[in-house]
Amino acid sequence: MESVSKSRPMTPAQLDQFAAELDAVREEVMSSLGERDARYIRRVFAAVRYTEAAGRILIYCWFLPPLWALGVLLLGLSKILDNMELGHNVIHGQYDWMNDPYLKGANWEWDIVGTADNWRLTHNYKHHTYTNIKGMDDDIGYGLLRLFPEQRWRPFYLFQPVVALLFALLFEWGVAIQELRLGRLSRGAAARAEIREKFQPVKRKMRRQIIKDYLIFPLLGGPLFLPVLVGNMLANIIRSLWTYMIIFCGHFTADVDVFPKSVLKSESRGQWYARQVRGSGNLRGSKLFHILSGNLSHQIEHHLFPDMPANRYAEVAPRVQEICEKYGIHYNSGRLSRQFGQVLWRILRYSLPSRPGRLDQVRLTAE
Amino acid sequence: MSAAAGPVVRLLEPLIVPAVFDFWAQKVNPTFSWERCLARVVARHMEARDTVTLELQANRHFPGFRAGQHLNLSVEVDGVRLTRCYSPVTPPSDDRRFAVTVRREPGGRVSGYLVDHVRPGDVIEVGPGGAFGELLPNAPVPPGPWLLVAGGSGITPLWSMAQWLLAERPDTEVHLFYWVRQRQDLCFQSGLLALRARHPNLTVTTVLTGDSPELDGELQGRPQAHHFAALAARLSECHARVCGSREFVASVTSLLSESVADLASEAFSRPQPGPAQGHVSVTLARSGRTVSVPAGVSLLEGLEQAGLSPAYGCRRGICNTCACHKQAGATEGLVDGRLNSEAGEVRLCISAPRSDIALEL
Repeated sequence: MESVSKSRPMTPAQLDQFAAELDAVREEVMSSLGERDARYIRRVFAAVRYTEAAGRILIYCWFLPPLWALGVLLLGLSKILDNMELGHNVIHGQYDWMNDPYLKGANWEWDIVGTADNWRLTHNYKHHTYTNIKGMDDDIGYGLLRLFPEQRWRPFYLFQPVVALLFALLFEWGVAIQELRLGRLSRGAAARAEIREKFQPVKRKMRRQIIKDYLIFPLLGGPLFLPVLVGNMLANIIRSLWTYMIIFCGHFTADVDVFPKSVLKSESRGQWYARQVRGSGNLRGSKLFHILSGNLSHQIEHHLFPDMPANRYAEVAPRVQEICEKYGIHYNSGRLSRQFGQVLWRILRYSLPSRPGRLDQVRLTAE
Repeated sequence: MSAAAGPVVRLLEPLIVPAVFDFWAQKVNPTFSWERCLARVVARHMEARDTVTLELQANRHFPGFRAGQHLNLSVEVDGVRLTRCYSPVTPPSDDRRFAVTVRREPGGRVSGYLVDHVRPGDVIEVGPGGAFGELLPNAPVPPGPWLLVAGGSGITPLWSMAQWLLAERPDTEVHLFYWVRQRQDLCFQSGLLALRARHPNLTVTTVLTGDSPELDGELQGRPQAHHFAALAARLSECHARVCGSREFVASVTSLLSESVADLASEAFSRPQPGPAQGHVSVTLARSGRTVSVPAGVSLLEGLEQAGLSPAYGCRRGICNTCACHKQAGATEGLVDGRLNSEAGEVRLCISAPRSDIALEL
């Protein structure tokens, strides 16, 4: 089957204009950052703290099951906010301009088993620079799933529906070991030694998280050890499922394009911008939904401007869409149910063999 | 965490996330912090035209200072944390209380904020870093006589020194020369009067460049040799300390350096963006190295040409891998063309130096 893109290639001159228009949008926002953006991210930080405190306290109310359940939900909510609207965005350096030592991308750490250092490498650098380039962006299937016909089929993928579900439940653990690329375990002693070395910081972080959620807080509950442990585990699973769903909708819906490595050859700013839009998909929803998704619902805007504070994506989205439509770039956007339905379809469809896609037919520039 | 941390603090440290600790602790007291020095404004008064004195009470992380030294103060103005250095105008004390005097600079974001907006109860950060400046050596100070020469705001460290010197050695001879444009720019007048009443060995000479002299002890004009005539032969025994703008310090130094026992000076200046050509020097705070790199080229490339290998990723401003704290210096954004003279994060790959730079690298 051929990759049929909904976007049309542009001439080099059009690409330059496309980039100039997007740069202008970016410049306007970046030069207007100030008090309200600072207040916003601090309110998100406060929301994480209050929901965490409330959640952790209510989880001790095992004898009142509705309160215990509310505690689990609040702790899950806290972890979702910490993970997405706070951690992910701060780690991108979106709030570096504030020069607040507590909100610096380079030394932020978060309440998740993966280390922020690995995240900076796999996500900030690899995924955002080489978005949807097969063989360079490890987020394409995370080395585990086949989501595009361009990936070669292997019999292992027949188990994909089950593997994908397990991956969703354990998503934070999967992301934590992504950079280890365990597929190399069979490639000899040198690879194994390197994996062992890379695992050290991950192991420390995992230990810290396990001690916190599965030892210290349960112990503080005394006889309630087990209900607290289970509550914390459920909160972590809620976070994993939610982040998995949002993140998969970002790049694995039906209409996204994947690209061959050759696009990198002297890639212009316009080509890079076009690739970011064509490789991403947005989610429509309420303001609360956008916050809970860490504004990854504005995946397109996030990929165009990864260092722009996420609270500004909603206001630039209509202009980005207008510019994309003007230049014939498909602006992929839909409700969560529709977009995630397409993701599920990909998981099921490409677990089965298919004719490999023709990556060499994907063009950013018109001939 | 400071080396002086107690056993409880050391035990808790691995469990503490400073930002989270501060969030909750500041619900109790806005100056509580795990590791940052925060100070509450306890009083303010207008000291002179466009000039405010703020009295500050610091928390237990206060780094302390010696008379004549400077401290970095950081405030948030329109969401951005900005840092400037100011000299305490009080002598060092044990209660972590000190005062600074700030004159509003034209277009100055921090000085404007401190003069117009800061009120008692507000919190200001002391730092980053501790006190610095070497007007007085960290050693037993010579008995004098002292010649303190201040130009405008340069009075601030010298006023702290005068009070401290006379408290340490009440009979030491201190001669203060204080240049201002007009009489309404004069600071610390009541404090100076009181100190003179107690110490006849303190002389104060005010020199006006804008107003004409009317009172006793007032002179006129830009610094010249005759201003110091009253000291006569004593001049050659004086330990001179000079503080003011760059031009002021240069002119006083050239007048006095041959005729006094010793002279130390400090001039205040903000980094000014230079041309995008030639070379600048980059000081790397962590490794203690200083290298020369071309101006107008990204810092990442410049540092690599100098044989260093800072961390990097995309090399085009996307991934933030090369983000690094700039302590001082002016840079130009290579994508947006914006000049930035503030301390803060820079991405080495898309920032070119336009002055000497200090990086936390």
